[in-house]
Amino acid sequence: MLRKTIDIVDENNQPTGKVAVLNSPEKRSDEWSVLLIAVGENRDRQAFARLFKHFAPLLKSFAQANRHQGWFPGLSEDLVQEVMIKVWQKAAGYNPEKASATTWIYTVARNCRIDMLRRKSNTQHLPLENEDYWHEPDEETPVSLLRQKRSESKVQDSLSQLPKEQDEILRKVYLEGKSHAEASEELGLPLGTVKSRVRLALQKMQILVSPEYRDELSHEL
Amino acid sequence: MSYNLTHHPDATMLVEFSAGTLATAPSICVSAHLHFCEQCRTELLRLDQVGSQLMAEAESAEVDDSLFDSVMAKIDSAEANPEPSVTAEVKGFPHSVSKLIKNPQHKPIWKRLSASVDIARFKTGQSDFEVALHRICAGGKTPKHDHSGVEYTVVLKGSFSDERSVYKEGDFLVRQPGDVHQPMGAQNGECICLSALKAPIKLANPFGFLMKPLLRINPM
Repeated sequence: MLRKTIDIVDENNQPTGKVAVLNSPEKRSDEWSVLLIAVGENRDRQAFARLFKHFAPLLKSFAQANRHQGWFPGLSEDLVQEVMIKVWQKAAGYNPEKASATTWIYTVARNCRIDMLRRKSNTQHLPLENEDYWHEPDEETPVSLLRQKRSESKVQDSLSQLPKEQDEILRKVYLEGKSHAEASEELGLPLGTVKSRVRLALQKMQILVSPEYRDELSHEL
Repeated sequence: MSYNLTHHPDATMLVEFSAGTLATAPSICVSAHLHFCEQCRTELLRLDQVGSQLMAEAESAEVDDSLFDSVMAKIDSAEANPEPSVTAEVKGFPHSVSKLIKNPQHKPIWKRLSASVDIARFKTGQSDFEVALHRICAGGKTPKHDHSGVEYTVVLKGSFSDERSVYKEGDFLVRQPGDVHQPMGAQNGECICLSALKAPIKLANPFGFLMKPLLRINPM
């Protein structure tokens, strides 16, 4: 496994070995999160280079999956660059308790992708960037890493077991950047069916905290 | 901040927000709601994991080595010339709304809409929706109206009620075309709401046409 080769360092830059970190339930010990923390805390260029090597190809592929009409292939490398620059600049704000490095980098990529599209399709001044929408209130309640990890593995496991028709829509929405309405048009399905399929998938992944507050599942499946 | 809210965006909106496919104006409303709603923040953290997982599983594309050097060069030049960061928050308001209020290119100005309602329109760089703050004075009654387009509302301060319910700080409402309603400000203080309205408002009151020029939609 790759993670055996990681050098974990403490605040004084002294190696602390991999075992202590890997066995600690309170810390994120996956390779990418450790590297991202190193970038944030120590401006570690080597760690950044390794993140780049891993994430740049994934980000490029994420960019190429975009089927938005305003998107063209030439933008893909621009997106990779913009995201990786943001990763460097914002790494100090990365909170490993809330998200894995992969999820955090995904959110940076998602925000950059929207901003690039909005800038392309808009000649007006844009007062907000997408990350402004995701600003956490200062007095936010801390999240428990253990709970977070549990929900991550739940999402991960159930995502791979979703029925094809649910998986297909999630991919359209998250990777191709389609709205539910666009997905319904493309698949020739009523909008209600698309929404129900997404909601069924969310239930399987146990994403909704209080489903009783949400709209009732429609029956047109 | 954690209120026991009962009015949230539905799952479809949260998914589109997480995937980044929700239009600008409704996104601003969802973002304002998130400021008050821990439950939806938790759900979004999980929804982001879906996107992240799908991204991580994808077959990776080939990236030229020169891209890394180009990124490092840009990082170094940006660090040599740091951009000043200006974030002045309006106390108690969501960050996105604060930023719209403080927008140096367009400071919103309160305008009288009716005896009890003022409006301050925002510039958001899109023209599909009118995004604005509404201020209802204590006990103020708004004209009974219908919508020809969908309207999203988030209570930012105080509370108001209509025929169906009472809405408190952070509550998120969607009104579809055909939903005639008559919001009323709470007796104990003014109420400020953020709203995003898709198309012109129609007045249900037969004399409502008198109000029309004031309620005219003005997307900016």
